[in-house]
Amino acid sequence: MHRSTTRRQYGDEAMTDTLADGDSPDLDSCVRIGSIVSSNSHLDYVAEVYKERDCDRPPELHEREFGQPVFIKKTVDGTEHAVMGVIYDTQLVDPDQGRTGPRLAQDDQAQFTPGYIEERTTLAGVALLGTAEIAEDGTIQEPTHQMPRWTLEVEDTVFHCPDQVTVSFHTVDDQIQLAYMDRLLDIAGDLGSEVIVALIDRLRGMLPEDDPNQRVLDVVEQNVQWQAREQRGMV
Amino acid sequence: MTDRSDVVGTVAGPGDDPNEFVFVTPSDKSIKTGEFITYTVSVEGEPRSVFARVTNRELIRGLPEGFLADPEVGPETVAATLGVPTDDTELYRLTATVIGYYDTNMTTFANPRQLPDPGTPLSIAPHQQLETVLPNLGCETDSTDVTTLDGVAHIGWLLNRPAEATNLHIPIEEFASTHLAILASTGSGKSYTASVLIEEMMRPSSRASLLVFDPHGEYDTLAEMQGEEAFQGADGYEPSIEYYDPERLRVRISELEIGDVMAILDNPSNRMQERLSTAWRAMQRQESRTWGIDELIAEMERIYGDDDASVGALEWRLRRSIERNDLFHPEENVPLDEIVDPGQCTVLQMDTLDQWDQQLITTVLLRRMYRERLDDVRDRDSDIEHPIFALFEEGHRFAPASGEAPSLGIMRTITSEGRKFGFGLGIISQRPSKIDQDVLSQCGTQISMQIKNPNDQDAIKNSVEAAGEDVLRELPGLTPGQAVVSGDAMNTPALIQVRQRRTPHGAGSRPVIEEWREAYDERQREPTQSESADFAEGDSTGVQSLD
Ligand SMILES: Nc1ncnc2c1ncn2[C@@H]1O[C@H](COP(=O)(O)OP(=O)(O)O)[C@@H](O)[C@H]1O
Ligand SMILES: [Mg+2]
Repeated sequence: MHRSTTRRQYGDEAMTDTLADGDSPDLDSCVRIGSIVSSNSHLDYVAEVYKERDCDRPPELHEREFGQPVFIKKTVDGTEHAVMGVIYDTQLVDPDQGRTGPRLAQDDQAQFTPGYIEERTTLAGVALLGTAEIAEDGTIQEPTHQMPRWTLEVEDTVFHCPDQVTVSFHTVDDQIQLAYMDRLLDIAGDLGSEVIVALIDRLRGMLPEDDPNQRVLDVVEQNVQWQAREQRGMV
Repeated sequence: MTDRSDVVGTVAGPGDDPNEFVFVTPSDKSIKTGEFITYTVSVEGEPRSVFARVTNRELIRGLPEGFLADPEVGPETVAATLGVPTDDTELYRLTATVIGYYDTNMTTFANPRQLPDPGTPLSIAPHQQLETVLPNLGCETDSTDVTTLDGVAHIGWLLNRPAEATNLHIPIEEFASTHLAILASTGSGKSYTASVLIEEMMRPSSRASLLVFDPHGEYDTLAEMQGEEAFQGADGYEPSIEYYDPERLRVRISELEIGDVMAILDNPSNRMQERLSTAWRAMQRQESRTWGIDELIAEMERIYGDDDASVGALEWRLRRSIERNDLFHPEENVPLDEIVDPGQCTVLQMDTLDQWDQQLITTVLLRRMYRERLDDVRDRDSDIEHPIFALFEEGHRFAPASGEAPSLGIMRTITSEGRKFGFGLGIISQRPSKIDQDVLSQCGTQISMQIKNPNDQDAIKNSVEAAGEDVLRELPGLTPGQAVVSGDAMNTPALIQVRQRRTPHGAGSRPVIEEWREAYDERQREPTQSESADFAEGDSTGVQSLD
């Protein structure tokens, strides 16, 4: 259908594994994880993960795991931007089981309410975190953790975000930032603290071990974990 | 109605106590406990400024304590990481106790008997208003320029305010007639504060007649008031500071009372006591006031015969304890007209006397002065025709709780009756718990400084009605020069910083290290004896090193 043709069109482009590539990540050659199929709110999107026949190089399992940072490209007013997000949930869909097509959300705390899906597929929940400008050289600049004002479109491609871009997005004036945290906790609901801990883990692995921000991340992680335990009535 | 620009907080509701209310302030309006705030209420149709004292302050909204998990990571860094703004986040909940509005007829605080409504705006009480209403100055408005008043002592300023912003002038007449206590641990500033008050009392506008009983030689620098312009009056007045050294401190024997003599003599037998009392009374009935031990013994021998064993034993004791002590003399005493005069501050230097002699000379002097004041008030001939004020360092020595001092009786008499006769006492002590409770509780004005000892804190609590719990709580935390002033001289207690002296302070601790080093250098410069023996010119240096 319409959607799959679009996918094939993207799939024609050459693709490089940026993680293996090292130094300067090229935002154009990042792994494509999937495409947007619906949204639950302004910051909460659903992407359908690419399969073998959707593109030349579908994401490997570890490239679309829980807590994986992603980005979606948007050109606004002539400037190319990256809308930054994170995979905070996943869901498998088998339309044959439900016949009439499933409503994935079990209650009104709706997280996934994708439209009609014809084939077996994996859906990923993407929470938006902020935005950044994409510079000429393919790096990102002026990262902001303010709520993105723009909406994504159905069929927008969700890219795997290379580590260097993840670090740049989280660094403001040499200081590590996760200023989207309360919004993310809100969107991700029960998995909120886990997705933040996963993000923090990634950042810790990306920063040098003696970076002073390591300790800041420790404190933030402790706080999130503690709050989650409190909310779950453990302490 | 109220201009909200000087509003610092808003009333939230009533507090736990009937006189308490709770209010909320943002962090930039940093209000300390002890601060005076004010709000307006209508009393019988008239708008009145009600004053209240802030007694407690707690954070109700601020960065989570979890942000403090790592001492090496500042909470503001964690906040920045999470995009939490750190300006204006904090919100404080404060408790205040209503003092009242200033009743211009009663010239003191009146309780409005009604707490402010929730939402009532609160302001910091203005300087001049506090200067007028905190001390007991009897002003007829609630905002007066108190620096123009006569007979006030500028003792310092409110501790919670910037230096010299809200000055405290206390009425000299009040503390000088209903007695004063200055209580604090050693080194907290008692002598300093007393000296500040002496300076104030000696100014041309007051010209007090002061006596300082100084067992430590701490008041030697007061003389520098003389020649200072600040202390000179337009009419040529200048304070006179007299030092009375121990050699001039004499007790005329006939001025001792029989009780004093019994205390001086070491444990006399009943028979001795009986003989001595009879003879002593006979001597006191005589015309002459200048008799000595010889005359006393002659009188005893006249009554009991010259081979009475008890008289013999008494003679031996009297000669040892009285005759051989230079303090006692058949004729000489301290002439009162030399030590008391308006515009004169006399420092009785007692540092070389032992405690016993200090107590005796004090006892006798106080009795004589009290008698003169009584005579003056009763329109009889008197050597002291003006009110006097006497300050005692080590006050617990002269009015001890243990009762073991000849001076206790007269101290009790003066503190309970002295106000009628213009005789005020100032008791300075680092051990309030060791002061006689009657004496301490009669001290109408109290200046309490740092006190850590719980017994001493209790002593203050018990005898100082005026100082409320919230103020006494401050005592352990004060630093030198900080004080709580309470009692008759105040309409409500206040926490102050005592001002700097105009004269230098003479009671500092010795510069020990400096003195050691100097002494050592001195030693190094002197050749030693053995060295001198080695050299030809040795004989003269050997002599030098002996002095
Ligand atoms: N109001 C003050 N301003 C400045 N310094 C003060 C003040 N009060 C006390 N001090 C300092 O504290 C020291 C001790 O004060 P002092 O009056 O001698 O103590 P105390 O008599 O209580 O043993 C003084 O030498 C002085 O340096
Ligand atoms: Mg002293």
